Amino acid sequence: MFGYALTRIAVALGLIWAVVTLVFLIIHFVPGDPAELLLSQGGVAPDPVAVTELREKLGLDRPILAQYVSHIGGLLKGDLGSSLLDDHSVAEEIALRLPRTLELIFAASLIAVLFGLPLGTLAALRSGSPIDRVLAGVAGLGLSIPVFVVGTIAILVFAQKLHWVPAGGFVPFSRDPLQHLILLLMPASAIAVGLGAVVFRMTRSSVLEVLERDYVRAAHAKGLRPSRIVLHHVLRNALIPVVTVLALHMGSLLGGTVLVEFVFNWPGLSGYLVRAVEQRDYPEVVGIVLVISIAFVVINLAVDLLYAVIDPRVRHG
Amino acid sequence: MAARPIHRLYLPGAIVAAIIAVALAAPLLPLADPVKMEVPARLALPSLGHVLGQDEYGRDVLSRIIWGARASLAVAFFSAICAGLVGTALGLIGGYARGFLEIVTVRSMEAIVCFPPILLALLVVTLMGPGAATLVIALTILYAPGYTRVAFAATLATRGLDYVTAQQALGARPVRILARTILPNVAPPLLVQFSLTVAAAMVLESGLSFLGLGVVPPAPSWGLMIRGARSTMEQAPWLLLWPCLALTGTILTFNQLCDRLRDVLDPRAGSAGAGWLERAAARVWPDASPAAAPSLLRVEGLTIEIETPTARIRPVRDVSLSLAPGETLALVGESGSGKTLTGLALMGLLPPTMEIVTGRVLFVDRGGRARDLVHLPETEMRGLRGDEIAMVFQDPGSSLNPVHRIGDQVAEVIRAHRDLSRAGAAAQAVALLKDVGLPDPEQRSRAYPHELSGGQRQRTMIAAAIANGPRLLIADEPTTALDVTIQAQILDLLAVFKAKSDMGLIFITHNLAVVAEIADRVCVMYAGEIVEEGPVAEVFARPRHPYTAALIASAPEGADAQLAAIPGTVPLPDALPAGCTFAPRCACAAEPCHAAKPAFAEVSPGHASRCFRWKEIA
Repeated sequence: MFGYALTRIAVALGLIWAVVTLVFLIIHFVPGDPAELLLSQGGVAPDPVAVTELREKLGLDRPILAQYVSHIGGLLKGDLGSSLLDDHSVAEEIALRLPRTLELIFAASLIAVLFGLPLGTLAALRSGSPIDRVLAGVAGLGLSIPVFVVGTIAILVFAQKLHWVPAGGFVPFSRDPLQHLILLLMPASAIAVGLGAVVFRMTRSSVLEVLERDYVRAAHAKGLRPSRIVLHHVLRNALIPVVTVLALHMGSLLGGTVLVEFVFNWPGLSGYLVRAVEQRDYPEVVGIVLVISIAFVVINLAVDLLYAVIDPRVRHG
Repeated sequence: MAARPIHRLYLPGAIVAAIIAVALAAPLLPLADPVKMEVPARLALPSLGHVLGQDEYGRDVLSRIIWGARASLAVAFFSAICAGLVGTALGLIGGYARGFLEIVTVRSMEAIVCFPPILLALLVVTLMGPGAATLVIALTILYAPGYTRVAFAATLATRGLDYVTAQQALGARPVRILARTILPNVAPPLLVQFSLTVAAAMVLESGLSFLGLGVVPPAPSWGLMIRGARSTMEQAPWLLLWPCLALTGTILTFNQLCDRLRDVLDPRAGSAGAGWLERAAARVWPDASPAAAPSLLRVEGLTIEIETPTARIRPVRDVSLSLAPGETLALVGESGSGKTLTGLALMGLLPPTMEIVTGRVLFVDRGGRARDLVHLPETEMRGLRGDEIAMVFQDPGSSLNPVHRIGDQVAEVIRAHRDLSRAGAAAQAVALLKDVGLPDPEQRSRAYPHELSGGQRQRTMIAAAIANGPRLLIADEPTTALDVTIQAQILDLLAVFKAKSDMGLIFITHNLAVVAEIADRVCVMYAGEIVEEGPVAEVFARPRHPYTAALIASAPEGADAQLAAIPGTVPLPDALPAGCTFAPRCACAAEPCHAAKPAFAEVSPGHASRCFRWKEIA
């Protein structure tokens, strides 16, 4: 178990290094001068003085290897540079906003699993029945509605027409826990619609597959109750591919928050990213992309470790 | 369920075609100018001139929806095609050439997948500024890896095939082989990938446009329209509704098309039943006619039926057998002879696709009551399973749950039938594992199945089966998956347990050497019927059915006997001969054998055969 965890962590560190290097290379090997590219607006050639200034500020005038070394050195110290517009520290801003985005992802995953897992199991156990078909139809719809459509319509219905919840915004948990959770509910649910549909589909097909296994027949031959067979023997095995798929969707989930944070005014990392992209604030964009990519690697690491808990065979491999 | 899935492609296919046709025909349709503003008529309700109303600048909504479809579909299709060309080419090259080229093409694509998709798109937008061209480039980069993976996998699977090797031997150039031979074979999965990509690209395009980072206003796009309608949605919610409906509907149709396309191309993915969780129904009425209570078990005229798409077949027909306490009955036959199904029927474990259409299974429980297992309610049957009647299966590797410790898997059968504490059951499980000869049972009970050898796994399965001291044990080829030396040990183990109790044992096997070693009586099954039954010594010495005789003659000396030397094959249950089922392969078949079915008749006390000419077999 310990050796397995150590290997996984080493692989994750390697991946993070690869991501850092890749982002660095993208910026440097894109055709054209990045400084010039960033300053040009609508095809008008930028002021050469400004370009030179920006090149110096970004350190683009130094040899590429030196840039790379100082880039890595900065990262190790937690320095992601500062905003081109207001000199605000990128690392500080990210430290403030990252927990909010992770909270959103966590809440959305929780809601998605809470609905997708039991309903997926139910649909598998009653496969071919009317319940199964209705649930499959709902899941198909859930997969097809873009997250910003769900969010926008939810605001229209629940905030503006029914006045059940505010249209969006954010209150720190420390100031008003209840209001914080109420404001979290809508964006998290909006993400959970598509994610829940994915979890549902995966659970359904995975449970169906496990039900055909010999060990389920053997469990039945022991005279166990169906509830115990499902909970103890089927679900534990069926969860393995569900966890895989959930992990694979973390990427699109991190993407999904961009739109949801925008729709619900949730001041997370992704909204910050959109603003940075709009203003083409290059250190901000690079910093956020790095942090999200690293978060992505870390989430995958956590999932790998979770595997080992669910499936004893993995600990050996 | 979906018998002809190709049918199911028509509806979503037609809708997709209609959407594309309308988008293509946009310049020809009598539509208002999608960008012409008419500020006094802002947020106007639907009217004759503007069927869906006018937006926040007084532009015609219908026209913008249709022109928006054009923008969305153009970006989605164009990037799906670009990604398809780039990705497929890289996958084909990587899969065909392998080596260094594979690293350059396939592995570099996998690095892209490490990035969250929308981040990558935003990175491209940062560098290039918003616009439709940026979108196409971003989406191409994003979706090329999907094609690469599909094309790579399919190429690897195809390149080793004989006809590709043959072309190489004939000196065809790689490009020609790739284009002419491999590409057509990888086309179906790529087609699915294409429609997946179009749907995904539409989602991403509309999302980026919604953020204001995609299509540049005033050009219409569904994402932009939803963005615009958001600001006025309190006064004019319908403005929000149209683009939302158009977008969701289109994506839904594409997804449906994808799902069904996949069903057509990959027919494996059919719907399955509820697996082993449900019990087969009995279609026969309870037989209330009095019968002499058996000493342990008597099966009378058991017939099992399966409904297949073409016909109803009966893989087990009119099987009767009986068993006394302490007796061992061997059920012998080739694969497909119905012996395993018979065993499962006794356990009430036939899958729900099957039905018991005739017969009864009388079993005398510990209380001395004879009960018909075919009609026993599931809750009572569950009480017997694992307790009074237990079963050991053929492959211990797949019959143990891989994620639970073996001690727990033995303990759970005890706790299912006895009121025992967790610790008490665990201690008993360790004792049982010791009894079946597992070394170091205390520690081994905490092991997982994959940490045990095949023989140890089967010992564990036997420990679970005998945990509650069953009156009847059904062992379905328990040694087939094991080494010869281990086989002998497992047989000894079963013999020891039988000697200790008066447990009845039904031993299902195709191995005659094992039968001679372990059984008191033998039932020989052929094509779903019992063809001969009698005491082992007598049947082996004087077989009264040609099939049994042929089996004995063909069995080589030694433990690893296989039944292969009889000419011909077992008839399939849906193509049984009119007369005796064995007649087509029988050396002594005569005229009546092909015309009528022989009855199962006693040839000497306790010895019966299903043959017209049993007297002539010596």
